[in-house]
Amino acid sequence: MADHDESLPDAPEYATSNIAGSEPSDDDEPLDLTHENNAKIIMLGTATDDDSCASFQFENEDHTLGNALRWIIMKNPQVEFCGYSIPHPSETKMNMRIQTYGEITAKDALIKGLADLRDLCDVVTDKFIAEKERFVAEKGN
Amino acid sequence: MDGFDMMDSGTEGPTVTIRKADSTRADFVLSNVDLAFANSIRRIILAEVPTLAIDLVEVINNSSVLPDELLSHRLGLVPLESSNIDEKMLYTRDCDCDGYCERCSVVLTLVAKCTGDRNVTVYARDLAVAAGAQLGSPVITDEAQKGSIICKLRKGQELNLKCIAKKGIAKEHAKWQPCAAVAFEYDPHNKLKHVDYWYETDAKAEWPKSANAGWEEPPQENEPFDYNAVPTKFYVDVETVGSLQPDEILRQGIKYLQEKLATVIAGVQKTAGEGAAAAAGADVGGMDDGYGGARSPDMGDANGYGRNFNDGYVTPYGGAGGAGAGAQTPFGGYGGGGYSNGGWP
Ligand SMILES: [Zn+2]
Repeated sequence: MADHDESLPDAPEYATSNIAGSEPSDDDEPLDLTHENNAKIIMLGTATDDDSCASFQFENEDHTLGNALRWIIMKNPQVEFCGYSIPHPSETKMNMRIQTYGEITAKDALIKGLADLRDLCDVVTDKFIAEKERFVAEKGN
Repeated sequence: MDGFDMMDSGTEGPTVTIRKADSTRADFVLSNVDLAFANSIRRIILAEVPTLAIDLVEVINNSSVLPDELLSHRLGLVPLESSNIDEKMLYTRDCDCDGYCERCSVVLTLVAKCTGDRNVTVYARDLAVAAGAQLGSPVITDEAQKGSIICKLRKGQELNLKCIAKKGIAKEHAKWQPCAAVAFEYDPHNKLKHVDYWYETDAKAEWPKSANAGWEEPPQENEPFDYNAVPTKFYVDVETVGSLQPDEILRQGIKYLQEKLATVIAGVQKTAGEGAAAAAGADVGGMDDGYGGARSPDMGDANGYGRNFNDGYVTPYGGAGGAGAGAQTPFGGYGGGGYSNGGWP
């Protein structure tokens, strides 16, 4: 299975030369889901000088993170626009655009969205555990 | 705390109501969250909660009618007990060993031979877990305590297999799926008109009512369409394959969603010390200007470069306990920045 390749270090960005005869094909790359390689994020060019607008690119992320994050960032009243897209189905990349009204930077809005979504997850977990206990107790009677 | 009404509907925030639950099912209603969030939970419990499944099979002897590959595939699909796998096992890729070891795998052996005139049926129960393994016993739920059929042997045929089970997720292969199915429904009366029913003469007469229809008010006769309405109640029925309990799947799912967030937060943050303080308002100055970063060609960037602030340096936020651990958030406490949603559509 995928194990043989797992110990290899990641190729450096913009690796230019492949040793002849041992061309690693992209198709053979295992689905890499280690923490280190999950969700690499880069910032694409900004449209304004004050950083209030920016696009981010998430590596190895999809609608699971994208849609929920987009929604919670849009919940921030200081954010004018947030949208995401997956430009190509065979590239594991997710792009997110954030435009704020200018009081905060797009990166602040992203960090706030991430933190808010994490906290929302905590709340739902707590609610679920509490409800599960209530359900079990009720069933026991 | 101002309550921070993130939800569009009402003030009570997210609610969970369990309708039915046992060791393989959890039927619950998730209310006052957004469709995007509910769908994230559905997607993550389907594809990204790890379980244990047979991944390598060393065939010492197989004289059955099934080819080795087919047999291996069938073995891979046998659900194995996987509770608390995160505390007990590593992914092989994160392990120091070559191949596999007891920290990242469980060995199951299957030895069977047909000696009599009657055919022998090999069941999942015949998989013997190595002594001392904390998990990995085949899931057996049928009354006869046999488990699923793996293969049948005729007189003289024999199986001798060493199966190596590893931790993995369903995104890589469906054999690691903890859920057989996740039912997901909202708006059973189709008030939001997200569904356009096909019909011969009358959609109402021809389409059966959803089982969840009783949980919501049916629309009034000639009720005007509310174009501001959004779905708020989600009817979820998690059906497991038996490797994990449904509530563990759900809790783990949310944990992995948080781990995704934590990884992104760590990627945005620059220094390791800030990882724990990754909440809103933390330092955002750690961005590097550097050429690089893959971009989609159509992402307009006049300057022709992307700014890479990951720099290959990632802080696993919160460690093994997951992002949520220690970050106890009493209800109402989320949205640390404390903006309120008052009047905002
Ligand atoms: Zn190992």
